[in-house]
Amino acid sequence: MNRSALARSSALLAAAVALALTVSACATGGSSTSGSVASVAHGASQVSITLANKGGSDVCTLSSATAKAGPVTFTVKNESSTAISEVELLSAERILGEKENLAPGLGAVSFTVTLTGGKYQVFCPGAEKQLTSFTVTGKTATVANSVTGALASGIKGYAAYVTQEVTNMISATNSLKTAVDAGDIAGAQKAYALARPYYERVESDVDGFILPGFGATDNAGNLDYLIDMRASNLDPAVGWHGFHAVERDLFEAKTITTSTKQLTAELATNVQRLDALTKSLTYKPEDLANGASDLLEEVQSNKITGEEEAYSHVDLVDFAANVEGAQQAFAYLEPGLTKIDPSLTKEIVTQFGAVNTLLDKYKDPTALGGYVSYTSAIRASDGPGLSASVEALHESLATIAAKVATA
Amino acid sequence: MADETIAGGDEESPGLSRRGFFLGAGGLAASGLIVGGAAGAAGGFALARATGSETAATADIVYPYFDQAHQGGIQTEPQKYSVLMTYDLTASSRGEVQVLLARWTAAIAQMTKGQPIGNPAPPGPEAVAQDSGEALDLGAQGLTVTVGLGPGLFDSRFGLASKKPGLLKQLPHLPSDQLQKEFTGGDLCLSACADDPQVAYHAIRNLSRMARGTATTRWTVTGFGRASAGPSQQTPRNLLGFKDGTRNIVSDADFDRWVWLKNQRQSWMNGGTYLVARKIHQNIETWDTDRISDQEQVFGRTKLEGAPLTGHGEFDAPDFSKKSAAGDPIIPATSHVALAAHENNGGIKIHRRSYNYTEGIDGVGQIDAGLLFVAFMNDPDHFIRLQTKLGSSDRLNEYIKHIGSALFAVPRGPRTGSYIAAELFD
Repeated sequence: MNRSALARSSALLAAAVALALTVSACATGGSSTSGSVASVAHGASQVSITLANKGGSDVCTLSSATAKAGPVTFTVKNESSTAISEVELLSAERILGEKENLAPGLGAVSFTVTLTGGKYQVFCPGAEKQLTSFTVTGKTATVANSVTGALASGIKGYAAYVTQEVTNMISATNSLKTAVDAGDIAGAQKAYALARPYYERVESDVDGFILPGFGATDNAGNLDYLIDMRASNLDPAVGWHGFHAVERDLFEAKTITTSTKQLTAELATNVQRLDALTKSLTYKPEDLANGASDLLEEVQSNKITGEEEAYSHVDLVDFAANVEGAQQAFAYLEPGLTKIDPSLTKEIVTQFGAVNTLLDKYKDPTALGGYVSYTSAIRASDGPGLSASVEALHESLATIAAKVATA
Repeated sequence: MADETIAGGDEESPGLSRRGFFLGAGGLAASGLIVGGAAGAAGGFALARATGSETAATADIVYPYFDQAHQGGIQTEPQKYSVLMTYDLTASSRGEVQVLLARWTAAIAQMTKGQPIGNPAPPGPEAVAQDSGEALDLGAQGLTVTVGLGPGLFDSRFGLASKKPGLLKQLPHLPSDQLQKEFTGGDLCLSACADDPQVAYHAIRNLSRMARGTATTRWTVTGFGRASAGPSQQTPRNLLGFKDGTRNIVSDADFDRWVWLKNQRQSWMNGGTYLVARKIHQNIETWDTDRISDQEQVFGRTKLEGAPLTGHGEFDAPDFSKKSAAGDPIIPATSHVALAAHENNGGIKIHRRSYNYTEGIDGVGQIDAGLLFVAFMNDPDHFIRLQTKLGSSDRLNEYIKHIGSALFAVPRGPRTGSYIAAELFD
């Protein structure tokens, strides 16, 4: 099956699934409304939203499905749902009002918005049926959907960023090759640490490429394998290639052999191949969101553990590059995302700030790559704190794909 | 992801969609999962059944959660397995702590019924599951999760100092203590107990996830076998091979006298108690080579029956005054039972609810195992007095080492529509 046919069948299946979901949600009453027009009190239409767990399903129920144009007060009470902790009122993907931290046992909370005639949606993330329609009758005003436009220009900007990083990686690996060819150990070590961040900033975007003519499971044609494989995950049939094989020679054996030179030349060639492939990539907003999330997963799995740079111990250089890449992807989504969910956007900005403040402590301009060596002592004393900080950011970042994907 | 060969660098390619790149053959499989999720949603999450699983017999044991006089997991007959986890609060406001306690309460109530705390396969390819799913179909398994509040909750950070339970403080250094920082203290604790190990684990895992951004994990012990019994259970054995908890508190009268708090100045703690947790490492290898007569002298009991050395049956009262022909007490004064007995401690009793643990092998190849000692009492000083004596003189000290410790205030159980320790935030 070629790619476009595959994409079409996926889309058809997705549509069928969406339909099935709607039907099943109706059947179980995943969300419901009384359908009556909201009564007016204190100068505002009154709509109550109840969150509950009914027979194991989390449901979000509105007291009325319609209201007259004008001020509308939504009063939200979580009776018993563990899955829903947030409610938003949406118009064309924009959040007009929201309440967070809705836990059973806490009192009801409300927000009031002035609405013109039109179609709105109440979004209850975590509910079996997450979106419930809400109609306002009366004077209509046009709501410009600027979210899509903001996201569209964001993905273009991000694509250019990835291309630039990979292009810069070519000159960085060429510098490494020059130093290795000259037998200059100190220079090569330095060049190694300088080349690493380019890959680490964008690795979630470029880690699935298979060279033409190779099968999907053949690591001999897997560019990520050939460029970035660690000793712990080697495929014996293909052997060791790429950055970390060079790292071993430069930092453990501390000698440059013919094999080191071959490995480095091969690395430089593969980075050029990567560059050619990267230029053809296009992205969807959710790719940026998932990519950012994946980069933090990399931090948690390989950097905080000290596995990535087992010989050079420049794990903090990679760590900072992963975070920077994630922050770039997020920054390109930010203009759109802030229209969709301003408080989440603000929270993520704060969380990136917290991670970066922590990382700043380890900056050392005299050290390889600009960060202190990630010793086992630092890992033992600081690893848990670094991990907790990244974990909080990761948990938030993991929620944005669903938000931007529908925009 | 690397599931499809792509024609790289093809000039005529209109552009490779990143989404298409991620989907590919795997994408169809993922869509199939969503269909499964929809089918699951249609039926709702009916109370899970564990038919056919190894722990099916206990699958449907459900303890009521709301509107009980006390939290579960204290007087509840000890389940087979436990996980204890303690946390450090990283929250910057009291409101965050309040939301966490409210969310924990609701989630515990739901998991206690054997239900997930959200859809493990939510609709939409980008949705992130709320419940991790490993307890699906296992049933409730008698799950209880007991919430404890450490001294740190009442320090200057959250403005709760005026509500601090009267006797809540860090335990003092006690004789023979060899505490390690990494197994000590905590601002909050959760103790999950269940008759299936994965149900207990699932509860702690998902509650820990809820805490992200508000609290970080501090230390944990997984108990693989109970080392204390309820009134209808046989006395189980600890890893030293001896019955543990033969004289444990089981009657309502004793709970009333020694465990539950009442008439507290902090009235919100009425119906609550204090929890002492101690991680006690056992020197398994040296114990195993100790001769049986010495082992029995160390405990003051027989190994098989668990009878006091002055009696024949497990539940015979020990006679600490009985002497041998040579004039020595038959139950040595430095035996574990003599030092811990209420007769020799002004009547003091505590309710023990311990679990055996093992954590593999240590750095020199020795078995790393011991007892997660958990005890409930209405005055932590009762534990302090007992452990001061035991730590000073117990013959067992040659074979054990207290390496972890923490004290928590355990509020009463929550009412319907409320949550644990809600009174703190009034």
